[in-house]
Amino acid sequence: MRVAQARRFVISDHPLPWLLPLVAILLVFTVYPLIYNIWLSFHEFVPRRRALEFVGMENWVQLWNDTRFWQSLVITFTYFAIALVFELVLGMAIALLLDSDGFGFGFLRGVLTMTLVIPPAIVGMMYLLMEDPQFGVISYLLQSIGLLNPNNPILATASTALAGVLVAEIWQWTPFMVLIFLAGLRALPPEPYEAAMIDGASSFQIFRRITLPMMSKVIAIAVLVRGIDLFRVFDYVFVMTSGGPGASTYSLSLYAWQQTFSFVKWGYGATLSLVTLVIILVIANLFIRIAKVKW
Amino acid sequence: MNGSFSTRMLRTIAAWVVVAVFFFPIYYWTSVAFKHGNDIFNRPPKLFAFTPTFDNFQKVFGISLGSGGITVTPGGGNFYMAPRVWDSIVIATLSTVLAVAIATVAAYALSRMNFRGRHSFVGWVLSTRMMPPVAVAVPMFFIYKNFGLIDTYTGMVLIHALMNLPLAVLLMKSFFDDIPSEIDESAIVDGASRFMIFRRIVLPMAKGGIAATAVLCFIFSWTEFLFALTLTTTSLKTVPVVSSTFVTSIGTAWGNMAALGAASIIPAFIFILLVQKHLVRGLTMGSLKQ
Repeated sequence: MRVAQARRFVISDHPLPWLLPLVAILLVFTVYPLIYNIWLSFHEFVPRRRALEFVGMENWVQLWNDTRFWQSLVITFTYFAIALVFELVLGMAIALLLDSDGFGFGFLRGVLTMTLVIPPAIVGMMYLLMEDPQFGVISYLLQSIGLLNPNNPILATASTALAGVLVAEIWQWTPFMVLIFLAGLRALPPEPYEAAMIDGASSFQIFRRITLPMMSKVIAIAVLVRGIDLFRVFDYVFVMTSGGPGASTYSLSLYAWQQTFSFVKWGYGATLSLVTLVIILVIANLFIRIAKVKW
Repeated sequence: MNGSFSTRMLRTIAAWVVVAVFFFPIYYWTSVAFKHGNDIFNRPPKLFAFTPTFDNFQKVFGISLGSGGITVTPGGGNFYMAPRVWDSIVIATLSTVLAVAIATVAAYALSRMNFRGRHSFVGWVLSTRMMPPVAVAVPMFFIYKNFGLIDTYTGMVLIHALMNLPLAVLLMKSFFDDIPSEIDESAIVDGASRFMIFRRIVLPMAKGGIAATAVLCFIFSWTEFLFALTLTTTSLKTVPVVSSTFVTSIGTAWGNMAALGAASIIPAFIFILLVQKHLVRGLTMGSLKQ
C-alpha cells in the first residue's frame, strides 16, 4: 500500500518529485558552501596549533584595511569594463560584417566558433608563448614596428601586463558576442529597414536608430552572461601572470584562491570569496531588474 | 544589404581578413605542435618555413608516424598525457550524463506544471550560475578532504555536474517550452500519466535540444580549470590543469604543450559543429532562440 501511494505521488502532477534531485544537489553544492564560507569568515587557521580558531570580526576588519583587496577590486572592475566594451564593440562590428548570405560566410562563422571550445587555461598558455619577449610572435611584431621596448616584456611589466591578459580574453570571447549578435540581426524584421531606405537614411542612422534599439534585448542578455564570467576571471591570470608583476593583475578570484591555498589563510580566503559572490549577485540582479531580462 | 559588386567584394575580403586574424593564434599554436625545439625558439618566429615533426605527439600521446603507418606505444615520462586525456573524457562524459538527466526531469516540471514560487525557483537556479567557482571550491575542498573525494572521478563528476546544472535546466526548459502543451493535455485526456507523457512523447520530441545541452555541458566540463585545479592533486588530472606541468625549471616544453592543446580542441570543435543550430540558445542559457 505504501509503495503504491509513493508510486502514485511520483507520477502525479506534483512538481516535488521532479525537482527533488535538482534541489538536493543545488543545496549540497551551493547553499552548504555559502553557509560554510560565512562560518569560515569568522575563523582562521592557526598553523601553530594546526586548527581553526574563532577570530570574530578580524577577517572583515582586515579586509577593510587591506590595500591589496581594494587594488584587486579595482583591477577586477577594470578588466570587466575593458573586456566588455571591446567584446561588445568588436562583436557588433564583426557581426554586421558577417551578416550576409554570400559565398563562404557560413564557413567563416564556423571558424569563429573554434575559439569558444579551447580551455581558457590553454588559451592563456598560447598567449604566454606569443607574448614571450624573445620568440613570441606578438612581441616580435610590436617590437619591429617600434610599439614595444624589447627590455619591457609585456607580461612582466606592470603597465602592460593587464593588457597582455586582456588580449587573450578578448580574442577568445569576441566570437561569443559575434554569434549572439548574428542570431539577433538575422531575426530582425525587414520592414523598418525598407521604410528607412525609402526615406533615404544613411547606414549609420539606420544602425543607430533601428538596429541598436531593436537589438537592445539581445545586447542585454549578452552583457549579462558574459559579464558574470568576466567578473569571476581566474584562468587567464592564474596561468599567464599569477597576479604579477607586483599586484598589477590580481583579480578577486585569484586573490581569494591564493589566500586559501597558497598562504593557508582559510578564513581570509573565505571572506574574500564571499565578497566576490555578493558583488556579482548584487550587480547581476540589479542589471536583470533594470534591463528587464527574462528567463 | 545588396550593394554594388565592388562593395560586396570589399565586404567579402574584409570578412576573410578579420576571421584570419582570429584564426591565426590557432594556426600558430598548431604549428608549434609540429615544430622542433629550435624552430620554436627562432627569432623572428617561423610561421611557415619549418620542418614538421611528429615528436611532440609521440612524447605526449605515444603516437608515432613511421614507415609502417601509425603506431601507438603507451609511453612513460612526465609528459605522457594519454591517461590525462582519458581522465578528462571520463569526467566530462559522466558529469554530462548526470547533469542532463537531473536537468531534463526538473525542466519538464518547470515548463509544464503550475505551482507557487515557480518563477522565483527559476530565479534561484539562475543565481546559482552566478556563484564564483572560488566560493564553491574552497568549502568543497574541505568537504572532499573529509569524505576522501579529492582525486576521485566521483568528486569531479559531481562538481562539474553541479556547475552545468543551471545552464542545463534553463536550456532544457526553453526547449520544452517550444513543444505545445496541447500535446500533453490531449494525452492526459486519453488517460496517460505525467511520467508516460514525459517519457513517450515529450522526451523524443526534445531530442535535438537534449543533444545540444549535452554538448555544451561536455565542453564546459572539458575546459573547466578552477575546480579541477583545486580538487585534484596527483593521481587524477584534467587536460587544462596538466598544461601547466610543461613549465619546468629548465624551461617550458612548448612543443609538447601545443601538441596536447591542439589535439584537445578537435573533439570539442566537432561536437559544437554538430549542434550549431542551437548554439546561440545554449550560450545564452536558453533566453535567445535562433
